[in-house]
Amino acid sequence: MNIPKLPLGRLVEQIEQWLTLYFGAVFDLIHSVIGGMVEGINAGLTFLPAIAVILLISALAYWVGKWRLALFALIGLLLIDNLGLWAPSMQSLALVLTASVLAVLIGVPIGILCAQRAAARNVVTPILDFMQTMPAFVYLLPAVSFFSLGVVPGVIASIIFAIPPTIRLTSLGIRQVSPELVEAADAFGSTPRQKLFKLQLPLALPTIMAGINQTIMLSLSMVVISSMIGAQGVGAYVYRAVSQAKTGAGFEAGIAIVVMAILLDRLTQNALKIKHK
Amino acid sequence: MKKRNNRSFLSIALLTVMAAAVMLTGCSSSGGGSKTVKLAYVAWDSEIASTYVVKEVLESKLGKTVEMLQVDAGPMFAGIADGSADAMVAAWLPSTHASYMEKYGKDMEDLGVNLNGTKIGLTVPAYMNVNSIEDLKDSAAGDSLDHKIIGIEPGAGIMSATEKALAEYNLKDYTLVESSSAAMAQELQKAYDANQPIVVTGWTPHWMFANMDLKYLDDPKGVYGGDEQIHTMARKGLKDDQPDVYQVMDQFQWTPEEMAKVMVAIQGGQSPEEAAKAWVEANPDKVNEWTKGIE
Repeated sequence: MNIPKLPLGRLVEQIEQWLTLYFGAVFDLIHSVIGGMVEGINAGLTFLPAIAVILLISALAYWVGKWRLALFALIGLLLIDNLGLWAPSMQSLALVLTASVLAVLIGVPIGILCAQRAAARNVVTPILDFMQTMPAFVYLLPAVSFFSLGVVPGVIASIIFAIPPTIRLTSLGIRQVSPELVEAADAFGSTPRQKLFKLQLPLALPTIMAGINQTIMLSLSMVVISSMIGAQGVGAYVYRAVSQAKTGAGFEAGIAIVVMAILLDRLTQNALKIKHK
Repeated sequence: MKKRNNRSFLSIALLTVMAAAVMLTGCSSSGGGSKTVKLAYVAWDSEIASTYVVKEVLESKLGKTVEMLQVDAGPMFAGIADGSADAMVAAWLPSTHASYMEKYGKDMEDLGVNLNGTKIGLTVPAYMNVNSIEDLKDSAAGDSLDHKIIGIEPGAGIMSATEKALAEYNLKDYTLVESSSAAMAQELQKAYDANQPIVVTGWTPHWMFANMDLKYLDDPKGVYGGDEQIHTMARKGLKDDQPDVYQVMDQFQWTPEEMAKVMVAIQGGQSPEEAAKAWVEANPDKVNEWTKGIE
């Protein structure tokens, strides 16, 4: 085989330069939208003193789950506050919530499209495989050159990593709605829109929520990597502790991430099962 | 069932609307005023010490608000090059950060040396009876080390220098293990605590020298070159936007001994802010040199 090495790397770098050159305005717009969202959520979370936010979240946990979840929320969040990690944890939470909300807003429509059009599915699936398996470190530098240092490239990297489950499971959930029901809806002359909103989405909702739940968990797992490109938050504490070989400090910051993850997981899982009290 | 679904959709929609609402107010505050300075740094003890000292000076003497961005080495250079960070005091030249300078060096302004006398080389615990890289040829020493040298991130200047050293000193049976700065330090600490032989790629300033009794192996062939220097880098245009900040960055320089004081204080459990504040208050003469000529 005498094929010379393909200039793949150089091509990618040229594409990167070209995008930076011609899409600067688009990236700036995305930058200010996402930056504003993160700042807004962060301001909302830190507007009240920590103890008030803790009680609010515990009340939400009680409303959504049971008293056990509320107790966990109370103790876990008090622990984060006690370790002196409240402010960075809220920064990270703002990052995760922004990434998750955007992932849902973008992912659910794409998932619906994939469920309805096989052609779309064939195009999207390999892209999703790429997004889930390409090591995040690879697109850290392009993310910085497009969106400059800070929380925004962190959000973008989190979305790339975390959006596939929402798309996949939305598509799957809709396709799993039993064909008899879809036939019945067609037979009674429902419009495609009625069919989607009154039949397919409600029946697919548990599956879609499972996807959204996975998306939230995956974006939480990106906080450390995001901190390497300026997203700061509790991820930076983990990263710093690791680069200084301080296992204890790393564990403290890690526990804060675990508490937030379990809370978000249970809250989103139980959001569907709200009891009428 | 339907009611509940609507509720969860509603809450997501509500959250988005809220975020959008705050966004409009948030945007106005995020404009770069000339009062804010963004400093990028890597999470090494030496750079944490120097960057926090610079932050303290800019805040207490110039009344600036300093935003600290702790990032990875590559993003740090990329951020200065594209202007999303204003300056950094953490460029190790000529060799450690050579690959980044190649890519980003032309898009930033080098304000010169802020610390002289950094050193890189092969490092061993003081209890080992090897003193020179030549001594590693000894088969007993080689066997005890398992013919391994524990390195750091592939691509770091010290790694290519070590590869060269292995060739120059004819240490063919050794492998240089690629890992990370953190893993290397961990491995060293473990061996040191157990009194085991180990060779690592080391550099000063680094906290491992404060925590353990270590020594550099002599390098008679001079493969590791002379000492390195740490440079200050600023984004292009900082001089026009914030001349006072530019001038302090330009005049900032200190010695490894001064830096070590801050590093040891942080290692001893002080927060970087506290350690930097204490050092700045204790060294007014030095700080005045940095802020000289600023009204």
